[in-house]
Order: sequence, then structure tokens, then C-alpha cells
Amino acid sequence: MSKMLAFSSGTLISCLVGLLVLLGLVFYLIFYLINQKKAIVKEREESSRRLYELSILKELGVRAGYSLNVEEILQIITGSLIQFIDYTAVGYAVTTPEKIKVNIHIEKSVNYKFLNDIKKSMAASLSALTNKNIKLSDFDEVISGAIIVDEVKKKVGSLFNIPLVISGQVAGVLTIAHTETGLYKEEDMTILYKITGQASEAVSRLQEVVKIEQGKLNAMVESMGDGVLMVDPEYRIVVANPAVKRIINFNYSEKDKVLSIFDFVDNLGGKFDIHGRLEEAISKNEPYISKRIEIDNTFFEIGVYPVVHSPEKNKNKNLGAVVVFHDITHDIELEKVREEFTSMIVHELRSPLDSIKKIIELMVAGSIKADSDEYKEYLNMAHQSSSSMLEMVNDILDLSKLQAGKFEINKEDANIKNVIENRITFFKISANSKNLSLESSLSENIPEIIKFDPQAVKQILNNFISNAMKFTSQGGSILVSAFTLDSKSNFSININKDKFKVFPEISNFRIRKPSLCVVVSDTGIGISQDHLKDLFQTYKQVKMDQIDDESKGTGLGLVIAKGIAEAHSGNVGVVSREGIGSSFFFTIPLS
Amino acid sequence: MKKILVIDDDQFFAKTLEKALPAEKYELLVAEDGEVGLEKLKSEKPDLIILDLMMPKLDGTAFLRKLQESKDLPKVPILVSSNLSSVKKISDVMSMGAVGYVIKSDESLQSIAQDIERVIGEADRKNSNNSK
Repeated sequence: MSKMLAFSSGTLISCLVGLLVLLGLVFYLIFYLINQKKAIVKEREESSRRLYELSILKELGVRAGYSLNVEEILQIITGSLIQFIDYTAVGYAVTTPEKIKVNIHIEKSVNYKFLNDIKKSMAASLSALTNKNIKLSDFDEVISGAIIVDEVKKKVGSLFNIPLVISGQVAGVLTIAHTETGLYKEEDMTILYKITGQASEAVSRLQEVVKIEQGKLNAMVESMGDGVLMVDPEYRIVVANPAVKRIINFNYSEKDKVLSIFDFVDNLGGKFDIHGRLEEAISKNEPYISKRIEIDNTFFEIGVYPVVHSPEKNKNKNLGAVVVFHDITHDIELEKVREEFTSMIVHELRSPLDSIKKIIELMVAGSIKADSDEYKEYLNMAHQSSSSMLEMVNDILDLSKLQAGKFEINKEDANIKNVIENRITFFKISANSKNLSLESSLSENIPEIIKFDPQAVKQILNNFISNAMKFTSQGGSILVSAFTLDSKSNFSININKDKFKVFPEISNFRIRKPSLCVVVSDTGIGISQDHLKDLFQTYKQVKMDQIDDESKGTGLGLVIAKGIAEAHSGNVGVVSREGIGSSFFFTIPLS
Repeated sequence: MKKILVIDDDQFFAKTLEKALPAEKYELLVAEDGEVGLEKLKSEKPDLIILDLMMPKLDGTAFLRKLQESKDLPKVPILVSSNLSSVKKISDVMSMGAVGYVIKSDESLQSIAQDIERVIGEADRKNSNNSK
């Protein structure tokens, strides 16, 4: 028995141990399974949170797009929160310059006290965050969702406020509340923090970009010479750059003086109906450009343009209108100069033609006897008139070709010395008749053959030499010198500087490559410093008193000379001293 | 014999005009710019001035202005003859006391001569009325 007992007790013990082990195993398994389930639940929760987070962010991305509107973003967050968190009410408060915008959505009916408690909590939270005393009376609120029922006696059990920070500043607060207590675990909130954090980061970054872009735009508008004014549809001034303030004589220094549209209305007076034009631009969406308007001796062309923003296709939003005051004083001056130029040319063309006509009239009428000396004199006059007119017509044609960029030169291998000597021979006769000496001084270093247009260069020489003759009195001297010049080499040529006191320095030639330089120097009346700068300019003819008035100039020849030299990649220039003499020169690069 | 002072840098114009006017009735004096014109106006006391506008030194407009401002320069009828044809120029000159404006290239010597006859005739009538 005892044996059996012993046996049985032994068996029992082993059975018990086995049972214990089994139990242990079972418990372990159960415990493990429970743990496992917990982990799975946790994981699921985690992934659902992640999914939520993702979906919210995606929605934010799609719906808010590049919206800078904090309210819009908060609406999106609050609108989709129900998928994830259970709440009785959700809302947000956003600070705007004027007031605090509050939007609360009630999911399940509550009483007024519940609603008030949420608002108080929002105000307190915002006060603490912004360091300002925010009262409920500052709220501009919108309440939506379930109706308020005073019979519902439930209090706020759980509540959570999440601040929304944009560019380091508190922009608002997001609030959720529930009648039940103990809700809103910290980890749920972490996700909400994350979402709001990401949203605010996106907005902050976008605002930064906008700020930089706005800064660029502002700087551009500020630095513009044209006056720029922008108003919103209510005619409030959005942008007014310094130029526009100057135009209407707005005094910045006066403190507390805010620029308004009335400053423009008053200042422009009867000259420009700014209010009417703005009204038209905003209502009809049509731009308007004025004719010239004079304000304080300055001429403007005033443009009024509607400003329309299209955030979406076929959806236009009128943002106001822009007024641009474009200063056209310079254009008008130029126009005047051109008119004067045209009238001068017409005059200069008419005079010789009219002379010819009148001479012929006399001849036809028989007032001058044929074969008399007088007859020859009049024929000679007609000849001179026709030559000077032909010269001028050629100049005008050349000038128009130059201006149209169609002035062509035909470069060929030619000998500059021959061209110069040819011109000296040509002008020698008239120089002798005026008792002027006309000489040349050609340097040894000039290559025999240079590539240039000999006809065009002749034209420059004709102009320079005939001018020199016009402005040099009897007994004076004219010298045509030519030499090659290297920008580095010293500049020593054989010129009688005692006679020709005004001769260019090396720097006057402005050469970059080895070049041929041709200088026509005279001992004439010279040109004043004032007039020097206007030479070679199309519409600025220098009025000078010739030594005699046999031939008058329009000054066009110099403009054409400049065009020819430039077509050879060269330069023209002049040095002159009043009463002593002048040197006109041109350069042609050798390569 | 009437004295006509032609102030014009275009010497051909004076020459052709001289030929077109009857030599027994008129004596033509020539000044090549406004400055010389002023001197001759004082020394010669012409009956009529034919004034060009675009001239060196003292141009026609400046010459008219001098005449307007001066008290001791003789009052002589002035016929402006120029190749400038802008309407503004013509009205400017007329408002400065010129009795007529001739666009040279639009007129024949014959018609300019007729203008001269007319202006001198009018001046004569005025003078004779005044002396009565």
C-alpha cells in the first residue's frame, strides 16, 4: 500500500510537476498571446494613426494647396478629425489683425455652458500663448453642427488645445472637447501636434517664400522711375511707390498722414479723372492709357490697368487696379528736337532749290541778257545751288541708311596714302583761292595696302577737309596727317605742333588694336566745349558761324563720318580749342 | 526811290529779287545776318525790310524781338520771307509785328514783288493820312 502510495505519491508529484509545467506553459502562452494581441492592437492603432496623418496631410496638400490661409488649413484639419478622434465639439480660434475668428462645430448636442466653457478655454489658451488678454468679446464666432439643448446637462469631461504656430508666432489654437472624462491620450495628441506642426511649417515656409518674392516686387516697384499706385476694389491704397508720391507732391515727413486716393484726386484735379478711370478699370476690367498729361512741367502718360487674379480656371477675382505714371518728358523733348531737325532739313533743301527756280524765272522772263557776264553769274549761282542740294540729298540718304542699319561699306585692298593725296589735290584749288595752306603728312609706318572702303573714307575726308576750310580764315593752315598707332607704342609723329597747336593725344584715339589714324587739323576758329559733345549726334546740329557763308552745313556729314568709321570697327573724334584750332580724326583697325 | 533792306544769309535770294524789282523804283540793300541788319536799319532807314528767319548770329525772330523792345529804332514795315513753313512759326512772327509772311519756295519772284509793292503802298497811304 505504502509502496503503492509511494508509487502513487511519486506519480502524483511528477504529475503535479507536469501539470504545473503545463499550466505554466499555458499561462505563458495566454500571456504571450495577450501581449501579442496588445502589440497588434497597438500596431494597428499606430498604423491607423499614421494613415490618418498621411491622409490629413494629403488632404491638406490637395485642398489647401499653396494656401496661406491659416483658417482654411484649420478647417481642413477639424473637418477630417472625426475619422480619428471621437469628440463632442471641435473648433479653432485664429488671430487676425482685426479680431479673433472662432469656428466651433458641435457633433452631439450640448448646452450653452458646455459651449461657453470651450470658448473660455480657447481664450485662456490664446491669452497664455500670445501674452495678451483675450476676452470672449473679441471673438467673431461661427457655431455649426448639432443644436444647443439646455436640457443636456453634460459638462466638459475632456478638452485639449493645440497651438498653431506660424513663423514663430502663435496664429491660433485648435480645440477638441468631449463630455466623457479621461479621453485624449497623450499619444493621440502627439499626432495632432505633428499634424498642426507640419501644417504650420508648410505655411511658414510658404510665407517665407512669399515674403522674399514680395520683397523683390516691393524693391522693384520702389526703385521704379515710373509712379506706381495700386488700389483695392474699395479704392484703398495697397501700393504707392516713392515716385508716385513725388508726382503728387505727397509730403512723407508729415506724421500721421496716411496717403489716400483723395490725395490723388485733389492733386491731379482737372488734369486726370483718376477716380473715374479706376472705377472703369475695376468695373469693366478694361485698361486705359491717357494722352500726354502735364503735371508740374513734367509730361506723363497715365495707364490704368485692372488687376485680376485667377486662382482657378474661369474664376477671376478682382483685386483692384494699378495706375502707372509713365514720364514721357524725355520722349517729348526728343520729338521736339526731331521736329526742329526735320524743319531745318526742309529749310536747307528748299533754299537752294528755290534759288534755282527763281534764277530760271528771271531767265524765262528775259530779265537777264543771254551771253552777258550777268548771265554767266546767274548760271554759276544755279550750279552752286544744285551742287549743294545734291550734297545734302546724298547726306540725308546716307543718314537714313545709317539709321536703318543698312549702310554698307565695301572693304577692299586699297592704299590710304593715295586716297589722301587724291583728296589734297581735289581741295587744293579751292584752298588756294581762299589763301589757305593744305598739306599732308603721311607717316612711313603706314602699310601700303589696308582693307577699307576707299569711297567711304573719301567721304569722311571730304567732310573733314571741307569743314576745316569753312572754319579757317584766310592765311590759315590745314594739315591731313596719317600714321599707324599701337595702343602700347609711344606716339611720336612729325607734326609742327607750333603751327597745329590742337592735336589729339594718344588717349583721344581710344584704340584697342593697332590702327590707322587719320587726322585733319586746322588753325581755325575752333569749337566751344559746350558744342563739342553735340558733334557727331544726329539731331543735334551745332550752329556755328562760318568764316563765309558760301556753303552752309547741316552737320549731317559728321554723323555720316561716324557711321562710316564705325562700320570699319573704328572711331571718330575731335579735339578743339576755341580760337586756336581743331583736329578731327578717324581710326581704322589694321587687322 | 524806295529803299528795301533784305536781311538774308542767302545771297542768291537778294540777287534774284533785285533783278525782279524795277530798278528805277527800288534800291536794294543787303544784310547777311540780323546784326548787320540792325546796323543798316539805323544807318539807312529803309522803307521796307524783307527778313529771313534762319540766319547766323542774330536770327529773324530775335531781330523782330529787338525791334519790338526798342524805342529808338525806326518803325519799318517788315515782310518775313523764309523757307520755314510751320504754322506756329508763321503765327509767332505775325504776332511780333510783321506785316506779312512769304514762304519763299511757294512764291514766284513776281508775286513777292507784288507783295512788296502792296506793303509799301499801304505804308505810304498810312503815312500820308497821318501827315494830313
